[in-house]
Amino acid sequence: MSNPRQRVNDAVERRSGPVPVDFGATSVTGIHVSVVAALRDHYGLEKRPVKIHEPLQMLGWVEDDLKVAMGIDTEGVFRRRTMFGYPNENWKPWNFNGLDVLVPEKFNTTVDANGDTLIYPEGDLSAAPSGRMPKGFHFFDAIIRQNHFDPDNLNPEDNCEEFKPLAEADVDAIAADVARAHATGRYVIAGFGGTAFGDIALVPGTFLKDPRGIRDITEWYVSLRSRRDYVHAVFERQCEVGIANLARIHEKVGSQVGAVFLCGTDFGTQTSAFCSKATFDELWLPHYRRVCDWVHANTAWKCFKHSCGSVGRFIPSFIEAGFDILNPVQCSATGMDPEHLKRTYGDLIAFWGGGVDTQQTLPFGTPAEVREQVLSRCEVFSRGGGFVFNSIHNIQAGTPVANVVAMLDAVREFNGRN
Amino acid sequence: MPDLNKLNQAILDGDAKTAASVTKEALEAGVDPVVLIQQHMVPAMDEVGRLYEAEEYFVPELLLAARAMKASLELLRPLLAESGAEPTGRVVIGTVKGDLHDIGKNLVGSMLEGGGFEVIDLGADVAPEKFIEAIQTRGARIVCLSALLTVTMPSMKKTIEALEQAGVRNQVKVLVGGAPVTPQFAKEIGADGYGETANAAVALARQFVQR
Repeated sequence: MSNPRQRVNDAVERRSGPVPVDFGATSVTGIHVSVVAALRDHYGLEKRPVKIHEPLQMLGWVEDDLKVAMGIDTEGVFRRRTMFGYPNENWKPWNFNGLDVLVPEKFNTTVDANGDTLIYPEGDLSAAPSGRMPKGFHFFDAIIRQNHFDPDNLNPEDNCEEFKPLAEADVDAIAADVARAHATGRYVIAGFGGTAFGDIALVPGTFLKDPRGIRDITEWYVSLRSRRDYVHAVFERQCEVGIANLARIHEKVGSQVGAVFLCGTDFGTQTSAFCSKATFDELWLPHYRRVCDWVHANTAWKCFKHSCGSVGRFIPSFIEAGFDILNPVQCSATGMDPEHLKRTYGDLIAFWGGGVDTQQTLPFGTPAEVREQVLSRCEVFSRGGGFVFNSIHNIQAGTPVANVVAMLDAVREFNGRN
Repeated sequence: MPDLNKLNQAILDGDAKTAASVTKEALEAGVDPVVLIQQHMVPAMDEVGRLYEAEEYFVPELLLAARAMKASLELLRPLLAESGAEPTGRVVIGTVKGDLHDIGKNLVGSMLEGGGFEVIDLGADVAPEKFIEAIQTRGARIVCLSALLTVTMPSMKKTIEALEQAGVRNQVKVLVGGAPVTPQFAKEIGADGYGETANAAVALARQFVQR
């Protein structure tokens, strides 16, 4: 029987074997804190508050005991500072819609007149809030803080405040976390940050106290057509700094990392795409290629790309850029039929995700429907290797635990049969 | 008299400055605002919708075209109000309670405006009572509900239930859309229609006002 790291390695290298499982190792393969708590109860684990390690999506930390119970083969390493700009340290209690959880010291919030929860960049209550969670709901969303800008005198440097050399202390903290993750024996996937070109979740700069440049989502999308030189200049700078940071991290962590989550920019919508393939090839492809080329030339890491939606038209470019792994493989989107994807691209890229639909089946289906879909997806995607099981994006709040358990049991059933 | 085809082209090109200047010149030359809307803006936005469906245009191009259309519409609105000209229909649109995502909702709103509808945009995270108020006080007869998140889809159902409880459900047609929404879900919650794309939403809204 192979060990967890070997299982994921084999899958990513597209070698046949048991289907490995990831949950909780990245910000796009995680579990909402309320579901993590419910899973701990289900498996009869020690009762203790779950840590919210990714505050925008309110993802819960999957601790070692739960990983063992769920049969998880991966271990995540995250950038040191969260989406709201504070480090995940010095945990304190917080009550989230009636659930006792732990949040970092600088997870500082207020409640506005509507009962909505506001969160502040770097925990600084004197700054303008950068995230809002509607009363009684489950996630934060960015508050757009678009300062006035002169469209005729834009300076790309304004959009590059977040792309700077890592502080030595941050590199050391990352290295220590990689060592911790590697010591678990699981496959380490790391999201060091810095190479997500134009990720719309990052554009508003929720982690910055006073973001400059183009921070409004609509304005950014418009810029992809009307200000290409500006976008190129931002990406150029980001690419340069991002590679330099990866080099410094690599010096310290070496091959303890299996894969690096380079970019989560979404290119697909449910039925189409955010931009044309020509726009992608002009604006993104050269920068992706440069980063992936550097990774392949200098490290043993695999390159992980996340993009929701209907991305069939972009997959050849993802492969051309040098990505080794595609996530979340949104099979419910147009043109994303599992059989078609596997047949067309299965020899060229590994699928990390696509295991079960989180828009319909997992939250609203029956355990039997979940089992059926999981078995079918494992059958298709694991053929000849190249499949790491994960749901299509994070497990959402309100998902029945019975369905999550049915999903995990179905993977075990599949592995037992094969 | 300016070449009014330049208005169509400016919208297709997403050129807000030209759209506004051609509109201004046309108004100065005495062109009826209704003619500008019905014979130029609506066909131009229909073409934008067609190009989007054909995947020749994508989100950036759609947003730019909508901006150009709005730059022209801003100049026409006061004149339309003065003349008492009626829009194709009156729509209230919003992202439902608990959901802060508005790109999809904005695209649908713009395409409806480009289709000659008056659009009352309530924004995101909209409580059911705000939709009811827009129906009662502003005469909206089509309600468009948007959701991006699986967890906020139930707010669509709650909004429709609230319309029923307020006694206004029979006065309006309810159209729903958004990434996780399906025709089956629309049917289950008692919506009158489901728009998979912005174009589909406009086509349905047109059907509703023609009935």
